[in-house]
Amino acid sequence: MTITELFTVILLVAGCFFFLAGTLGVLRFPDLFTRLHALTKADNLGLGFIAAGMALHIASPWAAIKIFSIWLFTLLASSTSCYLIARFQKEKNPPKNRKEEG
Amino acid sequence: MSVLIDSLLAILIVYLALQCLLAPRLTQTVFLFFAFGLALALAWVRLGAVDVAITEAAIASGFLGVLFLDALRDFSFITSGKQESSDAANHSVSKKKPAFLSLPGVVLVLGLGLFLLITLEAVWKVPESGGLTAATEALLPESGVENPVTAVLLNFRAYDTWLEMGVILLGLLAVMAVGGIKIFPVHRKTPEDPVLQQVILFFTPILFLFGAFLLYFGKNGPGGAFQAAVLWGAIGILLHLGGRPVLTVIPRWLSQLLLIMGIGFFLMLGFLLLAGGASLFEYPPSYAGVLILIIETLAAISIAVTLVSVFVHLNQLNKEESN
Amino acid sequence: METYQIYSITSGVLFVIGMGGVFLSKHFIKKIIATIIMGSGVFLAFVSFAERDALSFADPVPQALVITGIVVAVASAAFALALARRIYQLTGEESFTIEK
Repeated sequence: MTITELFTVILLVAGCFFFLAGTLGVLRFPDLFTRLHALTKADNLGLGFIAAGMALHIASPWAAIKIFSIWLFTLLASSTSCYLIARFQKEKNPPKNRKEEG
Repeated sequence: MSVLIDSLLAILIVYLALQCLLAPRLTQTVFLFFAFGLALALAWVRLGAVDVAITEAAIASGFLGVLFLDALRDFSFITSGKQESSDAANHSVSKKKPAFLSLPGVVLVLGLGLFLLITLEAVWKVPESGGLTAATEALLPESGVENPVTAVLLNFRAYDTWLEMGVILLGLLAVMAVGGIKIFPVHRKTPEDPVLQQVILFFTPILFLFGAFLLYFGKNGPGGAFQAAVLWGAIGILLHLGGRPVLTVIPRWLSQLLLIMGIGFFLMLGFLLLAGGASLFEYPPSYAGVLILIIETLAAISIAVTLVSVFVHLNQLNKEESN
Repeated sequence: METYQIYSITSGVLFVIGMGGVFLSKHFIKKIIATIIMGSGVFLAFVSFAERDALSFADPVPQALVITGIVVAVASAAFALALARRIYQLTGEESFTIEK
C-alpha cells in the first residue's frame, strides 16, 4: 500500500464517520433546528472528506477541480436550503426555549 | 464485494419504494420519492447506464419531485397547521388498514403475491439474445458521435426521440387544458429573501454552463439534450420561484416559437432528407455530427421551456381564485 | 450471482410493489407515485438485460428506450398531477371515493 492509498483510505473513513454522525443526528435530535444542524454541518464535512479522498485517488488535476466544485456547489445549495427551511419553520412556530439557553 | 454492494442497493431501493407508499404523511411520501429516485440513479450507474442515471436523477427524481412538492401546498392538510396531528389518522394507509382486512383486500394481496412469483420467474428466464450492442458498435463510426446512447437516440432511432418531444409538448398542452392557458404575472406580498435572491443569481450562470457542458460532451460521453434541458429548465424554475417569472416577461409568440423550435427543426430536417432522396432522419455521415449538435441544442432549449411551462402552469393552478 | 440478476429480481419486486400501491393506496399523489415506481421496475428490467448483453459498453438501444420512457413517464405524471390538483380544487376530494 502506497502512502497515497493510505491517505485516501484515512480520508474516506473520516468522511464516512461524519456522514454516520450526521445521520445519527437527523434520526435522534429532538427538533427541526438541531436536525438541520446535524444534516448540514456534519454531512458537508463528511462530503468534503470523501471528495478530498476521491480527488487524491484519481490524481488528475482536472478531475480534482470537478470534484472540488461538486463539493462547493453542494455546500452552497445545502446551506441555502437549510437557511430557508429554518426561516420557514421560525415564521410558522418560533422556537420556545431560546431565552433560557441564552 | 460487488455483489454485496449491489444487493445492499437493491434492498435499499425496494425498502424506499415500500416506505414511500406506506408512509403515513404525504410529505414523507414525497421526500422518500426523491430518495428513491436518487437510489435508482445509483443502480443505473452500477448497470453501466450513466446517461440513464443522469436522466433519472434530473427529470424523474428532481423535476417530478419538485412538481409533487409544489402539489403538496394544494392539499389542505399540509398548508394549514391544525391537521398536523389529524392527517396521520385521516390519510394513513397503514394505520386504518381497511383494504388489507376486507375479503377483497386479502384476495388482492394474495393475487399480488402470486403475480410477484410469476414476474420473478419471467424475469429470471429471459432468453439470451445478444442484444443490439454489436450492431451499434459496427455502425458507430457513421453516426457522427462517439457516445453510443446519443447515437441511438439522435441518429439510429431519431424517430423515437422526435415523437418523444411531441409527447412532452402534448403533456404541456394537456396541463394547459386543465389549468388554463394564461400565465399570470406573480404578485408577491413580501419581498423575496435576499439570500435566496443572491444564491439564485449565483447559480443561474453555473447551471447554464453545466447544461451546455452536458449538451456538448453528450457526443462522446454521458450527457445529452434531455439532461441539459432539465438543467436549463431548473434555471427557469428557480428564477420563477425567486420572483423573476421569465415566461411572463418574454412575448407570447417568442415563447411559442421556443416551444416548437426543437420538434419543428427536427421535422423540417426529416422532410429535407426525404426530398433529397434519403429516408427520414437518415443523415449524411459527414454532416451527422454537426446536425446532431444543432438538433440537440434546439431540442434542449425547447424541452427546457416546456418543463418550465409545465411547472408554472401547475404552480398557478391553486392561485387562480385569489387573482 | 451476476449484477444483472440482482437488478432484474429487484425490477420484478418494484413492479409488483408499484402495482400494489396503485390498487391499495388512496390519495391521488400516492397513486401517481405508485405508477412511477411500477414504471421504474420496467426500466430496471430493460437496463439490467442491457448490462447482460454488454460488449465494450452496455447495450445502448434499451438505454435509449429507457431515457425516452423516463421522459414520457414524467410528462404523463405531470398531466395526472394537474388533473388531481384540479379535482381537488373543484371538489375538495383527495382520493377516489367509493359509493356504498
